[in-house]
Amino acid sequence: MTGQVGTGALGVGLAASVAATLLWLRHALSPAAPVRSARLATVTALTAAVVACGALEWALLRHDFSLRFVAENGGRHVPLYYTVTGLWSALDGSLLLWLLILTGYAALLARTVPAGDRRLQPWAMTTVGVVVVFFFALSYFAANPFHPVSPVPADGPGPNPLLREHPAMGLHPPLLYAGYVGLVVPFGYALAGLLAGPAGRRWTIPARRWALLAWTLLTTGILLGAWWSYAVLGWGGYWAWDPVENASLLPWLTATAFLHSIRRPHAAERTGWPVGLACASFLLVLLGTFLTRSGVVASVHAFTESPLGPILLGFLLLTAVGTVLLIGWRLRVPADPGPSDGTAPLSRSAARTFGPTDAALLGNRIMLTTIAAVVLAGTLAPLLAEALSGSTAAVGPAYFNRTVVPLAIGVLVLVGLAPLLSPAGSAPGELARRAAVPAGVALAGMAVPGLLSRPGPTVLAAFGCAGFALTATAVDLRRRLSGDGGWRAAARSGRLGGPLAHAGIALVAVGAAASAGYTGSVQRELAVGESLAVSGATARLTAIDRAGGDTGMTVRARLALGTTDRPTATAVPELTYDPRHDLTVSSPAIRTGLLRDTYTTLLAVSADGRTATVRLAVNPMVSLVWAGGALTALGGLLALPTTRRRARVRSGGVSGESARPAVPAAPGAVG
Amino acid sequence: MRGRRIAGTLLLLVLLLGAVVGTYRSVRPVDDDPARRLAAELRCPACQGESVADSRSPIAAAMRDVITAQLGQGRSPDEIRTYLVRRYGAEVLSAPPARGWGLALWLVPVLALGAGAFPAVHAYRRHRRPAAAGSRPRAADAVVRPAGPSRPAVSAGRVWTAGAVTVLVLVGGVAVAAPRLADTSRPARPPDPAASADPVPDLLALARTMEEQNRYEVAAEIYRTALHQQPADEIRLRLAFTLIRIGQAAEATRLAEAVLASRPDTPDALLMLGLAQRGNDPTASTRTLRRFLDRAPGHPAAAEIRHLVGSG
Repeated sequence: MTGQVGTGALGVGLAASVAATLLWLRHALSPAAPVRSARLATVTALTAAVVACGALEWALLRHDFSLRFVAENGGRHVPLYYTVTGLWSALDGSLLLWLLILTGYAALLARTVPAGDRRLQPWAMTTVGVVVVFFFALSYFAANPFHPVSPVPADGPGPNPLLREHPAMGLHPPLLYAGYVGLVVPFGYALAGLLAGPAGRRWTIPARRWALLAWTLLTTGILLGAWWSYAVLGWGGYWAWDPVENASLLPWLTATAFLHSIRRPHAAERTGWPVGLACASFLLVLLGTFLTRSGVVASVHAFTESPLGPILLGFLLLTAVGTVLLIGWRLRVPADPGPSDGTAPLSRSAARTFGPTDAALLGNRIMLTTIAAVVLAGTLAPLLAEALSGSTAAVGPAYFNRTVVPLAIGVLVLVGLAPLLSPAGSAPGELARRAAVPAGVALAGMAVPGLLSRPGPTVLAAFGCAGFALTATAVDLRRRLSGDGGWRAAARSGRLGGPLAHAGIALVAVGAAASAGYTGSVQRELAVGESLAVSGATARLTAIDRAGGDTGMTVRARLALGTTDRPTATAVPELTYDPRHDLTVSSPAIRTGLLRDTYTTLLAVSADGRTATVRLAVNPMVSLVWAGGALTALGGLLALPTTRRRARVRSGGVSGESARPAVPAAPGAVG
Repeated sequence: MRGRRIAGTLLLLVLLLGAVVGTYRSVRPVDDDPARRLAAELRCPACQGESVADSRSPIAAAMRDVITAQLGQGRSPDEIRTYLVRRYGAEVLSAPPARGWGLALWLVPVLALGAGAFPAVHAYRRHRRPAAAGSRPRAADAVVRPAGPSRPAVSAGRVWTAGAVTVLVLVGGVAVAAPRLADTSRPARPPDPAASADPVPDLLALARTMEEQNRYEVAAEIYRTALHQQPADEIRLRLAFTLIRIGQAAEATRLAEAVLASRPDTPDALLMLGLAQRGNDPTASTRTLRRFLDRAPGHPAAAEIRHLVGSG
């Protein structure tokens, strides 16, 4: 019964999304056509997705093992929370969640009609509609989770035990998907800008706020993914340059570049950067979907091999070719100057000089795009090499560390320069005076750790540049906060978002550099009573407990931790064997501190249960990565209000120049 | 005011000196363990995204052993790397080698940065030398780069053509490569035992080392891994012998019987079976061991077994 409801909902959703796409297309071609039916079809598609997700969730909760998805991923022994998250712990269910979010965005986009983009919205909706149709078709025909299984099993294996380890599982995938899928809207607006003719020039204004929303969600999703990786996988790190991690970073990089490329709309509207970056972001989302759902890459985050690969690849290639041809067609057609309003902005942009702010923004775009190109090349090269020459060579962290890290340090310098530059340019003496304090902090940030320890030149450079960026941003932030109306007004206007996001990025850089440069780890086989020590932390094995249940066998090592011989805390890392998946999961125990984490992992226990192999690691300043990431996301969130205000001002006919607040520009700022 | 400026400049200079000295000191880290450094830049072939230094899989342990041993013999890191690549395949390298397609990969950042920066620098220089007042930019050209008052260096059309050709070549390449990828990905995964990627000899060597150190449980675990990689009778018997030593006779009996089922009367298998049976079934054990002595009277263990059977 649940199966029929689910399959029916997917069918209805497919039909409704096809209808919605056609109705929005009609509305786009003839604005006089009624829009109500199009909206109704869009909302129907959303309802269908809600019903489909609800049906599968219901089946999971009821342990309805007659459905294939539940038989493969449900289980009576699974706790309620992980039964609910079971929806997105395997391929077909995660596609349903994907559909739910996608149709949700479509319904939101269908509702809002700012006055200025009545011509753009239908085209954007048509683009989004095509994507919705594709994913409904994929779910209905190729990955239907509601297929029945014929001997109905009495119980299922439950989700992969790794996905039942950490509560972040409930937040990380939905947030990551929300960020991922949200990039479809800027993509839709970019294509709308190309399709809508002269009215399309202003597409970046409505697109910006959607892009900011998606960017904030994506930032949070990536951060939670790194946290999950750190807390569950047990190897002590949070970023391994795994293909799937790279796939989530790629659209983040291009979306960041996109947000910066529309910082100065008049300069940006005349360039190809925003269109290119918005389209690239969504194409990279499709690429990431393909990589995680086709089985071409082996990754801890990827789903197993599936028949969806060729279909997703086909859609990705088709979208790429279509987008390129569309951009070319528009650029080739002598861009309509628009007799009514085309000359005015052109003459204004011609009057504008290419100042230091523009140069810094351009540098930012180039750097971020280069990083994205490097990550993309490093992710795809092993696949292409294997396909073309049969080579099994891999591209691992050594490549990314040597290429991405220097570029990222360069981006940090730009982050620090951003608040120092002014759009019109300033005298060298003035610039030097403003840069003196940040430069002093940067040099101190290199000198002190460099003289006290030996972390390596890369780590020192990262410290220096992050110190520079943090100080410059802090000075800028203070100035913004002390402006008219105090911090409330500043927060409401969205002027705090950019500097906060920049400070967050700089903090992440400090945390990443410190945890890369100063991590100490040791692993040894210990008998009860023995201890091991590294970087001032000591762990003494006090007991080894074994517990067996019907869900598997668990071995725990009790470790007394302390900086001296006096134990101050206990850590209990464990090893769990899951017979249903024939998989042993090692759960680390992490004592989080402000300055350093003590990370213990149980690697093995001898057969007689008298000795255990334990790994003890001290990871300094990992908390800064989480704090910085959270601050970055908060910055994105705080930047949101500006968008609405600016969009309103702009659509009211006030020119961008006079609407700009009289704040010395923070060119790199997101907000 | 002037005094403050001088003090500030002096402070900056002192900090600069400190930063330079600190960086110089930091170029060579103190704890320079070549074995660990080499292991850290190799990937464990049996894991996902872990280095040989960090991984806890037996293969990584075997590779660490090989690295330490070969460094001890005075071989250079390059030679060891080449040896390991021959043995386990190119995928153990964490960074691609700077030749062939690997070189192309190393050029990506340079090319991307150049492709982005060249037009920008060009446009900026043109902006510094403003064109004659009459040359207003054409709309179609201005679409490409923030150009300022002058015409941009590169026309929109050309940029698009270049971009379109790149994308189409990429798409064509992927479309051609994808079916092959689907074909090769399956047979390529389980490594061909005849080919270079063969961890078994290293695993066996590691297990023997463990046996010599009386760490039989670890040795048994490694033999199991090796057996998983290559189900050979010799490994079964080594595992059986290790299991007898740690008192897991039942599994040892099964292993020896499995070998005897495929190759009846193999002396070593008879020996293992006999030894494994001693605890539970002494008469059967004596019978099996006598059969062993019949088959291989000249076996290195024969004298000891004769003594055992004679006395037992």
